[in-house]
Amino acid sequence: MDQEHIIAELLAFIEADPPSDPAAADAAFEALALKVFAYQFQHNAPFAKFARARGKTPRTVKRWADIPAVPINAFKSLDLTCRPPEDCVATFMTSGTTLGGVRGKSYHATLSVYDASMRRNFAQRFMGGQERMPLGVLFPTPALLPNSSLAHYLDLARQHFGSPGSRHLIGPDGIDIDGLCQDLERAEASSAPYGLIGASFSLVHALDALATRGRRFRLPEGSRILDTGGFKGQSRELEPDAFYDALAMTFGVPRRRCINMYGMTELSTQFYDDGNAACPSVKSGPHWIRARVVDPLTGQSVPDGATGVLAHTDLAHFNIVATILTEDAGIAVDGGFLLLGRAAGAAAAGCSMAVDAFLKAASAA
Amino acid sequence: MTEHPILAARLPGMNADALGHVTQTYGPADAPVSIALPKLDAAAIAAVAASVKTATRRTLKTYPVARIVDTLDAAIARLLDRAHPIRRQMDRLLPRLTGYDADMVGLGLTRYLMTFRKPELLRFLAEDFPNPAILDGFQPLPKGGYGRAYGADLTAHIWAGNVPGLPLWSLAAGLLAKSGAVGKVPTAEPLFAGLFVDALAEVDPALAECIAVVWWQGGEEAPERALLEAAELALAYGGNAALAAIRARTPITTRFLAYGHKVSFAMIGREALDAAKTAETARAAAYDVMRYDQQGCFAPHVIFVEAGGRSSPERFAGHLAQELQAFERTYPRRALSLGEAADVAAWRAAAETSPGGAVIGDPAGLWTVAFDDGTDGQFSPSSLNRAIRVVAVQRLEDVAARVAPYRRLLQTAGLACAPDRLFALSAELGLAGVRRVAALGDMTAPEAGWHHDGRFNILDLVEITEIDGRALPTADRLAAYVD
Amino acid sequence: MDFAGKTVLVTGASRGIGRAIATAFAGEGAGVVVNYLANTEAAAETVAACEAAGGDAFPVQADVTDLAAAARLVKEALDQFGRIDVLVNNAFGPYRFDPETRKRHWELDWNDYQRQIDGSVKAAHGLIQAVLPGMLARADGAIVMLATDLVARPSVPYHDYTTAKAALIGYARNLAAETGPLGVRVNTVAPGLVYPTDASRGTKQAMRDAIASQTPLRRVATPADIAGPVLFLASPWARFMTGQTLYVDGGLVMA
Repeated sequence: MDQEHIIAELLAFIEADPPSDPAAADAAFEALALKVFAYQFQHNAPFAKFARARGKTPRTVKRWADIPAVPINAFKSLDLTCRPPEDCVATFMTSGTTLGGVRGKSYHATLSVYDASMRRNFAQRFMGGQERMPLGVLFPTPALLPNSSLAHYLDLARQHFGSPGSRHLIGPDGIDIDGLCQDLERAEASSAPYGLIGASFSLVHALDALATRGRRFRLPEGSRILDTGGFKGQSRELEPDAFYDALAMTFGVPRRRCINMYGMTELSTQFYDDGNAACPSVKSGPHWIRARVVDPLTGQSVPDGATGVLAHTDLAHFNIVATILTEDAGIAVDGGFLLLGRAAGAAAAGCSMAVDAFLKAASAA
Repeated sequence: MTEHPILAARLPGMNADALGHVTQTYGPADAPVSIALPKLDAAAIAAVAASVKTATRRTLKTYPVARIVDTLDAAIARLLDRAHPIRRQMDRLLPRLTGYDADMVGLGLTRYLMTFRKPELLRFLAEDFPNPAILDGFQPLPKGGYGRAYGADLTAHIWAGNVPGLPLWSLAAGLLAKSGAVGKVPTAEPLFAGLFVDALAEVDPALAECIAVVWWQGGEEAPERALLEAAELALAYGGNAALAAIRARTPITTRFLAYGHKVSFAMIGREALDAAKTAETARAAAYDVMRYDQQGCFAPHVIFVEAGGRSSPERFAGHLAQELQAFERTYPRRALSLGEAADVAAWRAAAETSPGGAVIGDPAGLWTVAFDDGTDGQFSPSSLNRAIRVVAVQRLEDVAARVAPYRRLLQTAGLACAPDRLFALSAELGLAGVRRVAALGDMTAPEAGWHHDGRFNILDLVEITEIDGRALPTADRLAAYVD
Repeated sequence: MDFAGKTVLVTGASRGIGRAIATAFAGEGAGVVVNYLANTEAAAETVAACEAAGGDAFPVQADVTDLAAAARLVKEALDQFGRIDVLVNNAFGPYRFDPETRKRHWELDWNDYQRQIDGSVKAAHGLIQAVLPGMLARADGAIVMLATDLVARPSVPYHDYTTAKAALIGYARNLAAETGPLGVRVNTVAPGLVYPTDASRGTKQAMRDAIASQTPLRRVATPADIAGPVLFLASPWARFMTGQTLYVDGGLVMA
């Protein structure tokens, strides 16, 4: 299959409502997943080598769950792309804040599928039935961070779902607290719902800055907040309950309308919860992505209710690889999964040093 | 099958029953072990420390060092006897506590305990003191005058990790220095230290009163401060962050010795890779990888293999794989936590996808061999748990420069090469920070009296009281018999 | 014996013992590469039998005595399945087992021997050279050779054929010693008279009866009888066996 056809099929699949019969929905997902796998196997040479080494070929992969999961570490060293990198319109990279400093890369031959995936999902999971609302973006623009998938995502949200006046509130010099206060005041006065979206750590910075000024807001009914990405050592670390309490208190947005998005540079589709009235919240994705909880070594699903690491099969990530193995611990629950933080990074049980400890010590020495 | 919780602490002069306990459960679901860990607050720690100090002055300080050696030897003899009840307890419980294979623990323990018998203890002493009598009385010093070595009244031992037996190093050294000990056991393996004290108590109950074994929840500061204040000397084991925190809580008047976590590696010369020797070389290397699942600081992270032998580095990697496969049956790896498994998976992925890299071994299996054809060629840490990287190098002489950036973290280099290269390579490695060069296969079993992390085991624990060289002539003038 | 997710390459699999082996592996979930020399139709039947047994199969024509063809066979197999976990060396040079018309020793010339040695040992060698690197890269693999019980008990002295198979057993044992430390096991199955196969059709009823009457299990082998021990030797059940020869002849030879 060529790129044009796989894109057309994916766009149609994303736009169409999935069959209401679960078995039919499974079959539809499986059929397209196998096509995406075959496409990637044919065009993405490093991935084909990876798959072949596991005895996984279009001939032997018969179920979507058989598609080999590529560990996110592999995105650092391999150019996993069906089109040559130079032909790609965007290269999203991980932040490189992980130890070692090497950044994982996802090459996008087109952003049409990524954008379609983001738009339909965001409309369903964040917008609460509204077409547009004023959005304040607590993250730099794509112009400032051209390799950030999150910058692209948030800017896409602003363009497609933001009413006039929506804008970025972080510039080259950091958060524009005055601008944020103005926008929040205006929203308070307008009685129309307002959306504040951005990185979790940027929201912490905003919380701290507003606390310093002694400012609190009471955003209109229907307002909502989206945070994503965790704190990554860029802000102080808060327990989820403390974080969402602080958001609710400072912005007057109830925790059930504080939505956490779970996304990755190594995906083209995001997961959301339905608010954080209680933590940890259940995350779920749309019909073109599926999450499994697996044993990180065998790749086999763990028994129901057991903790494992998350593996995601995202059909929208068609130019790269469909299935990735994350380093995030999770547990499957009704309607989705709970995200339990990073699984990797265990300390040595004895007096040796495992990878994380070594890199930390080596960079300190 | 539930058993009564086993008490981890040894608290001379204190009624342990009066203390609250935390009961910690270890081991597989079908054979759990409950260990009772007494909760000691700062006041209790201070009381235990005082009791140990009193006992130490009463007994240990009065013993000639030869008697301490004999007592230790007799205690070790009990522990070497597989039929002795205390040794049986170790053999039965330590594998379940730590998850390590029972045969591996049993054999490892014996090999380890053998390095603490009388002949080995004498070697310990001889390593550090040209004349060990300096521990018993004033001896002439080369510069003139007389000196006598005194251990601290009380040494604090803060142990870490789950490799069974670790506390014995510092406990034995402390006793030889005639220092009382309060040792804090880690939650990961709280049992060995107490059982050793029990063996000692069978031989000399009074001496055993000079050692207390305590525990507190990691991160609890008050009991730790109390111990560090009571002790004159603190020996701490652990990761850098933990050590920094302990050091920050140590009073300036308490001497602090840190034993940080370390990494090791191996080197194999082409002379060890002919058609007859390759498999044996691989077996020795695999043994070092298998022992305690690489959790010990002596365990190799990387094996540098020289090209140009009859077996290529890649072929050697294949041999190593099969040797690890064989050990998988005889000494299985312990069960991994999710985090450890995720680390192995991430390490595998990095190794497999790096330029010139490949991995051998079923991901569902219990070992992984990664091969680097030299494209990267650098030292890099292992995820541990039987994950080993074979790096092809043109010349072993090139290796020292590659590990030198990590000089503060290096410990042992396992070496398979001809004698003429042994010293030349060791000289380069020593310059790069390596503090022990061992034969392949011996990496994880240091010999008696080795210089732990390059330091002196007993000498570091004592202070010398010296009689100034001019004191005796001056005193002579005051002698009654002087004319 | 679960071979799900495993790939098995069987040479000479279009007919007879090869087909029985291929079908049996497929029945345990393996993906089977069905090698054949000339009979495309028969190979297609084997493939159909494998699929009917619940496995996957893929036919590849190749004369395995031709080193280049053997390499191409392995490449095509890898393209389809990604890797080869088990190699079954079943093919051998054309031979007619007919006790009445067989060549006696003084009627043979060296070329007769050479043909059989090429058909057995050279074919195995070429294929192993092509398959082994992949197995060594994983430190895992199983190779099974097909020989004959005639090496131990030449009921009928088929000199050239049996000598070649005896050489194959020696080859397998040496290979087993070499690759055992590298994770690859090599074993041999030595069947007795297997009937019916194309090669044994010339063996008359009287001869078959004579063999059966001396066989503790009281009959001659069928192709399906051979498959079981082959699967066993290829499976983890035989993980601690290498360099062995299993006689599968109803007890005629006991060794």
